[in-house]
Amino acid sequence: MKRSISNRIRFLRFQNGEMSQAQLGQRIGVTRQTIAAIEAGKYSPSLEAAFRIAEVFHVPLEQVFQWGTKDGFRK
Amino acid sequence: MPYREKTAWLSLIAMAIAFVPYFAITAAHSRPAVPNLRQLALFAVAAMVQMIILGIGHAYLSHGSPEEARTPPDERDAAIMRRSISFAYYILIGGMILVGCVMPFNSSGWTIINAALVMIVLAEIVHYGVVVVSYRRQA
Repeated sequence: MKRSISNRIRFLRFQNGEMSQAQLGQRIGVTRQTIAAIEAGKYSPSLEAAFRIAEVFHVPLEQVFQWGTKDGFRK
Repeated sequence: MPYREKTAWLSLIAMAIAFVPYFAITAAHSRPAVPNLRQLALFAVAAMVQMIILGIGHAYLSHGSPEEARTPPDERDAAIMRRSISFAYYILIGGMILVGCVMPFNSSGWTIINAALVMIVLAEIVHYGVVVVSYRRQA
């Protein structure tokens, strides 16, 4: 089965006061389009950007990103 | 559409407007002798047209979205740029081998110069083409 990096940034954004993609991007130093691409699984961020995202949401990295099968990581 | 995708489109359009007529006129009125001031003037006109389009286009785009224009490229922009440059590099190096190592045996003068220009323009088209495709696919 094909494995890939999945994430739950969208869920975490809504859990954190419906933060917009632009606001998240501004806080970690990337554009809104880059956040959209990460959320859609089209772009894998650098390790530093991944840690910054986790830091914004005050969660460990593995609660934001997971390496696994496509359907293996919900919400 | 992101600002950097717009500038890539602008570069493609400027290249097409400036160099399609240049190569069409050159192919129709081939004068391979060197020196050839008319050919040189034609190239100067093409280069100036390209610069004018790029200058006006960049001014217009940065006026439309000044914040995006001021923002430095982020890591995804840099990754797209690296990918596009590596694609264009292979086109350019292949073209330069052809122009510099093969063509001198059977061509001369402006034929070689124009072949080099074709390869440079082709490499630029690939470069900006990959940028546009990457932004379209969100890659």
